[in-house]
Amino acid sequence: MSSVTKRLLKELQDIRKDLTDELLSLGPVDDEDLLQWHAVLRGPQETPYQGGLFRLRIDIPEEYPIKPPTLTFATPVCHPNVHFETGEICLDILKSQWSPAWTLTSTCLAVHVLLANPEPSSPLNCDAANLLRCGDFVGYSSLVSMYTHIFAGQIQ
Amino acid sequence: MADMEVDSPQKQPQPQPAVAPAKTKQKRMVIKRWTAVALWSWDMETDVCAICRNNNMELCIDCQANQGSKNAEDCILAWGICNHAFHYHCISRWLKNRASCPLDNSEWAYQKVGQ
Repeated sequence: MSSVTKRLLKELQDIRKDLTDELLSLGPVDDEDLLQWHAVLRGPQETPYQGGLFRLRIDIPEEYPIKPPTLTFATPVCHPNVHFETGEICLDILKSQWSPAWTLTSTCLAVHVLLANPEPSSPLNCDAANLLRCGDFVGYSSLVSMYTHIFAGQIQ
Repeated sequence: MADMEVDSPQKQPQPQPAVAPAKTKQKRMVIKRWTAVALWSWDMETDVCAICRNNNMELCIDCQANQGSKNAEDCILAWGICNHAFHYHCISRWLKNRASCPLDNSEWAYQKVGQ
């Protein structure tokens, strides 16, 4: 068994106790391929993402955990650091600041924190970032709320 | 199962022990043999290698898979000047990527390597 598989199986064992109200699910897409995972994040409370459920796609390289996993939003998200069409996420720990001490659980939680704490100085979505940069929080909130409602809304 | 009726409520109005002691002499169960089992562990904390998630006292995840190989015989630990310990095999794989401690992101320098 390769070391990436063994490390992923170890993480998989711990996931049941790691799941929280923010990270609703995390696991391999199917039993055949351990290098393809998906996760569901709940939009953080008291942010315009509240009420939304966001699906993440997680692609794990053979060199994991030396190399970082690639996380992309499968649910369209309006966020300064998320590409609206591709779902690409701009987050330092997924690239230059990656450390093998991160797990898939902690990485997903870092993305959850990013939702609540946008960083408009390095945008992938200029429209969302510009609203924040000029201090229009009302405009930003209503734009994000609308997209959350359209693409990530829960059926109650 | 007839023995069990001794304790049944119908017989309770006569609490005299006339019947019950005679019955209890027939032991329901006899212990023929017992084996004591005890567990022990060192009273100290051993850390998990943050890179492979195996305990530092075990082999690293690669050597565990290839036990008996030459490499597995010298699966040793390495400490950085930040006092964080990892399997030498794990940290050297990581350092090819970036020369920082995986746990505190400080610049990595070896403090000691050994068992």
